[in-house]
Amino acid sequence: MYIKLTSYIEQQLLSGNSDIRILPEDDLLGSGLIDSMGMINLIAFIENNFNVVIPAEDMIIENFMTIKHIERYIIKRKSL
Amino acid sequence: MIEKPDFEFDESPIKINNLTQTQLLIWMGQKLNPESPLYNMILTFEMNSPIDIPHFQTAFQSLINKCDALRTIFIESDGQPIQKVLPSLIYELELLDWSEKIDTIFLYQQWKDKRIQKNLELSKILFDSVLIKFSEKRYIWYFNQHHLITDAWAVSILYKTMSDLYKKTKSGEPLQIVTFPSYQNYIDFEKNNQEDTTLYKIKSYWKDKLKKLPTNPRLYSYNGPNFNTDSKRISLNIGIDRSTKLRALAQHKDIRSLTLHMSLFNIFATILFAYIYRISGQLKLAVGTPSHNRATKAFKETPGVFIEVLPLMIEIEEDDSFITLFNRVRSEIHEFLKHAQPGTSNAELSRSYNVVLNYIHSSFSTFDDFPTKSEWVHPGHCDPRHHLRLQIHDFDDSGNIQLSFDLNCDVFSDFQCESVPIHFMNLIDAFISDATQPLKKPSIISELEYQQLAININQNGTRLKKEQSILDLFELGVEASPDDTALVYNETRISYQLLNKRSNQLAQLLIRRGVLSGHRVAVYLRRSPECIISILGIMKAKAAFILISRNNPVKRVNYILENSKASLLITDKKESDPSLGDIKIPVLRLDSEMELINQVEEIEPSYPVDLRSLAYIMYTSGSTGLPKGVMISHRALINYILFASKKYVSLQKPVFPLFTMIDFDLTITSIFVPLVTGGHLVIYKESKSATDFSLLKVIEDNSVDVIKLTPSHLNLLKGKSLKNSRIKTMIVGGEAFKSELANEVQSIFHSNLTIFNEYGPTEATVGCVVHKINPKSLSSKSVPIGRPIPNMQVYVLDDYRNLVPKGVIGELYVSGLGLADGYINNPKFNSSNFVPHPFEPDRKAYKTGDLVRFNHSGNLEFLERKDRQVQMGGIRIELGEIESTLSLHPDIKECVVVYRENKKNVINQKTKHCSSCGLSSNYPQAELDEFDVCQMCRSFDNYRQKTKKYFKTLDDLQAVLRSNKAKIQTTYDCIMLLSGGKDSTYALAKLVDMNLEVLAFTLDNGYISKQAKDNIRRVVKDLGVDHVFGQTPAMNAIFTDSLQRYSNVCNGCFKTLYTLSTKLALEKNIPYIVTGLSRGQFFETRLTEELFWKENVDIDHINKTILSARKAYHRTDDAVCQHLDVSMFEDDQTFEQVRYLDFYRYCDVSLSDLMAYLDNNLPWIRPSDTGRSTNCLINQVGIYVHKKKYGYSNYTFPYSWDVRLGHKTREAALDEINEEIDEPYVKKIMLEIGYHEPKNVPDEEKQLVVYYTAPNKISTSKLRKYMISRLPEYLAPSKYVHMLSLPLSTHGKLDLHALPNPDASLPDTIESNIPPGSEIEVMLVTIWQEVMQIQPIGINNKFLELGGNSLTAIRLITRINTAFDLDLSVSCIFDMPTISKLGKHIEQTILTMLDEIKESI
Repeated sequence: MYIKLTSYIEQQLLSGNSDIRILPEDDLLGSGLIDSMGMINLIAFIENNFNVVIPAEDMIIENFMTIKHIERYIIKRKSL
Repeated sequence: MIEKPDFEFDESPIKINNLTQTQLLIWMGQKLNPESPLYNMILTFEMNSPIDIPHFQTAFQSLINKCDALRTIFIESDGQPIQKVLPSLIYELELLDWSEKIDTIFLYQQWKDKRIQKNLELSKILFDSVLIKFSEKRYIWYFNQHHLITDAWAVSILYKTMSDLYKKTKSGEPLQIVTFPSYQNYIDFEKNNQEDTTLYKIKSYWKDKLKKLPTNPRLYSYNGPNFNTDSKRISLNIGIDRSTKLRALAQHKDIRSLTLHMSLFNIFATILFAYIYRISGQLKLAVGTPSHNRATKAFKETPGVFIEVLPLMIEIEEDDSFITLFNRVRSEIHEFLKHAQPGTSNAELSRSYNVVLNYIHSSFSTFDDFPTKSEWVHPGHCDPRHHLRLQIHDFDDSGNIQLSFDLNCDVFSDFQCESVPIHFMNLIDAFISDATQPLKKPSIISELEYQQLAININQNGTRLKKEQSILDLFELGVEASPDDTALVYNETRISYQLLNKRSNQLAQLLIRRGVLSGHRVAVYLRRSPECIISILGIMKAKAAFILISRNNPVKRVNYILENSKASLLITDKKESDPSLGDIKIPVLRLDSEMELINQVEEIEPSYPVDLRSLAYIMYTSGSTGLPKGVMISHRALINYILFASKKYVSLQKPVFPLFTMIDFDLTITSIFVPLVTGGHLVIYKESKSATDFSLLKVIEDNSVDVIKLTPSHLNLLKGKSLKNSRIKTMIVGGEAFKSELANEVQSIFHSNLTIFNEYGPTEATVGCVVHKINPKSLSSKSVPIGRPIPNMQVYVLDDYRNLVPKGVIGELYVSGLGLADGYINNPKFNSSNFVPHPFEPDRKAYKTGDLVRFNHSGNLEFLERKDRQVQMGGIRIELGEIESTLSLHPDIKECVVVYRENKKNVINQKTKHCSSCGLSSNYPQAELDEFDVCQMCRSFDNYRQKTKKYFKTLDDLQAVLRSNKAKIQTTYDCIMLLSGGKDSTYALAKLVDMNLEVLAFTLDNGYISKQAKDNIRRVVKDLGVDHVFGQTPAMNAIFTDSLQRYSNVCNGCFKTLYTLSTKLALEKNIPYIVTGLSRGQFFETRLTEELFWKENVDIDHINKTILSARKAYHRTDDAVCQHLDVSMFEDDQTFEQVRYLDFYRYCDVSLSDLMAYLDNNLPWIRPSDTGRSTNCLINQVGIYVHKKKYGYSNYTFPYSWDVRLGHKTREAALDEINEEIDEPYVKKIMLEIGYHEPKNVPDEEKQLVVYYTAPNKISTSKLRKYMISRLPEYLAPSKYVHMLSLPLSTHGKLDLHALPNPDASLPDTIESNIPPGSEIEVMLVTIWQEVMQIQPIGINNKFLELGGNSLTAIRLITRINTAFDLDLSVSCIFDMPTISKLGKHIEQTILTMLDEIKESI
């Protein structure tokens, strides 16, 4: 899951800019790595690839701050 | 040929590309408005720092070199736009040095206003860059770019880069020639995206959206195509405090999203939807909003136009609060963002919104490290489809959110432009202060609007003279000119003096009869001088009058007398009139007591009249419920009459006609205004028929100056030429007055005619709002109703009683001197309709239930009754608009549109029932009155007595059955048709009691319940009679045919039963067949009202008619004829040999006696395995099919007769009629018998239905085409009903409740009807339409195709015979099944008769 997420971010959202490596605890939004538009694309990617539906009210920073947060959120969501 | 651009470019190859979706839409927008600078994106940056001009110029040239977007031009190739990027472009930045000039603020403003209008030609440079020097330390950089090459994000890239480049050139750093990522990449990306099949989910999302597109809302009611690009920007800083509160709200746990900007965007979108809803009333809304489309890092660094505007769609619920709406908006935005992929927009999607929300989070903070002030300058133009564009931004990161409203100048008046930000801000504040409050609750208007809408409009008070009543005014006239005429009635003239004398005398008599001050006296008279004398006399006796028109049924009169606690009734009905027998209060009969009145000593009554006392009580006939008595005080009356006398009467001694019903409050004007202005009243006699043509007589006589009437009355005048009419003033009231009609009336009259449109509910005394029509300025569809009359106030309020802004539709509330004192003895409606005044708590206001709005000129416009208001799929529909459009059709004379239930599909729905017999209210001729009594019960009361003659005794039956015994050799005296039910079982037992030889016969249709069959077997065994079961293999075919033809199974079953039993009777030489039909069934199938019309009912004639109908019945072609041997019915002899007797014609037994007999004497057990009183398991199928087609059970009619005749209780009938239908069971049987349900087009529950009058029926498809070419498709009704005339109430108003069920019109499949020609045909058409309940019927429509049966045939022939004084047999209807054929036959018959008469002479 981690590899799938980071490679999507690196390939799609950072235009394959090879200098940047995303780490599990990198603050994605706060550091400006991705913006809200990128975040929406990431969410669409998650919905399509991990078979979860992310409702609008879950779009809060606690769920999407880092890759680690996202993983935790997906697992929680899938267990519902 | 491409014009050579006026700049140099080198010869290297040029890149050519198609346009992106967004560019294409912009390009088309520009093409449509070639002269308009609507896509100029102008930013100005005010820099308070020294600028090195040459370095600035160098930096700008490098910016151009780096940026392909700035070097792009647009040309057309084969009509298709393409874009080219020029390899190089040398641009000289314009420099304006105003450092020496004075008043540079003004100079700049002037320059800017002109410069922003600069048209950037698409094939040339698409930007404009100017540096203006104001002083050494103050510059403004003006930078305008065409939207084809840029968006807000791009401008911020360019601005930032420009700042970098400038810094570098200034410091001498070499400028690297590193270009921006090319816009080409995005063009390619979008193209690939569109071809990418993996994006099908995205595409289907937008395809689905397309299907749900709502219509554009009407902002402040603006309605119309708009092509003007003129636009005004109103900017508003919402302030630091409010901005801070909004940011705090955005952090709230129920609101917050991933980022602050996202949360704020969600909030603003919610407020915008709420705002549009509040100013348009539309529930289903779309708002366009840009998706910035810069998903990757590289795109974020690319200048060019990326944004793409796509719709957000929301359906607001009436009871939404801010937070509930917010939750839906947030989800919609979430989905929107996930699906907003580059290239998804298109022209169709962009038509779905006329409001755009642009939340910009770009900012332009510093230039060369100096703070700048940036401004986005509006070019004064905007895409005309965008009526309102809201941009939200904080370019300078000041923390103070700025709102810019770009408002189209055609849509918003200057005044409205100033109100828009206030309305919006009030909603922001409401959301901040309480997110859980309903969207509809907060008031949105400004102080200024309050002043206008609540105060200014109502500043029209004039003082009334203290204690002057209507009687004082009348008596002044009596004194001034006693001998002048006051009333004219036929040849009679009554002077003021005489009128005064008679009313004084009447007052004396009333007082002697015990009428006291404050009492109520009812007047139940036709229009006559006595009526006016009574009104004056009652007032002089200090009592209040109640006018009741003579066409009211006694039941209603009684209700009014009781409700009003009237102490006396004045009428001219004779004492002998039995229908007045029920009146429980003293009656003064003018016919017998007039002489008495004339002899009473005349005493002038003592004055003054207390203006607070009641002048009259007017009963309104609401569409539902019991009539309500509106109490009008003397003060209210005099206020109106003084206004009316001043406004409507311009000449001395005006003549008014009295031609409308006396209990219609419109009539009050005609009664009093002439009598207080020295004029006179011409009284027109009431006709006894339903339609009153008095108006035509008024017009013909041409002896009145002022007339008050309804628009429906005016319809009667269409096509006349009235240039020489004496009428100078016309007061139109009572219903909505359409502009077309006003124009037509103006055109048929002379030019001196003045028309007033007067509006007013009875509860506000006749009229409280008035508009003098200016024929030249009739623009809107409905004539304005205008402004309030003196001493009356009007308020247009929403459901929370907030004032609504100008243009917005609200409900009209009225208050003032003319307000009624409420309804008499009706606390429920008093509290619901007379509510606390919205702004002065100690006063009352009347809630009119009428939807109105203020138009631009400050006049009120009436739109619709609130209960006629239609929301169709979230969109508010104005029925009046559809009517106006249709009435422009050259062939259509009048029309009305209603939004009504489609009753077809309702199977298990409860409907209203007659309170007396239980008949369903949707039965075609039910016509429930306000006491919920059906028309049949009402009319049966009139001939119930006469029907008794039809019935006989058991002795008579015995005599008949025995009469042939000697003559005929037979084993059986009769066949008894035994269904196994209680009625036929009892009848059989009784026949056996009479010692008759009976053969019992039962039709086994395959669906008789087992328990019923057991009953039959037990009973015949017990009684010792012979019994046979009749059968036919064609039963299922007969059922199917019956369902198709009559929507029931019983018709087919009965005919089979009669056919088989008759055959058996012939074979066995049995002279009689006895049926067990109930008395209710007699009336259902043969004993029509018409048979009892004659004063002396001729039973032999009835028998003959019924027999004749029976013959025709058996000879009608249907499945029975096709599958069974019916040859014997061809021969009249058969009906001589076998006679039919109905047992219950001879036996009147109560239900309890009958059941007791069965219990005590027979082994009959009530079956529990069928639907109640029937023994038949297939019955439900018939009920199902019938309900589906007509909306009511086929049993409602026969059961109503059983109830009416006392053979069933209403409750039992209703229980059975309303029994749940077991649909799966019904479907199973349908399959068994091979009946295919007609495929119903899935109908909407409710639909728009047009009723129109026109010389000929116009095909539905033609009418729909006509409508679709003029209105949005959703407004084009799909059902059109051609009528000969629209139904009017007795008050001359259109009677919506009398409009027929649309399914009662001829289906389009039946060949269109040819209208009648000869007089005979005209009469026949009228009779047929009344009986068949279908309009219109043409002379070639066939009786059976119109749904005729033997019952309708009896009704028709009886009416025809009465009308033409003939004696035709029922079979004529079947033999000559069209009006054309029948008409010829009648003509021939009459001619022959005349010849015979001549010969005999």
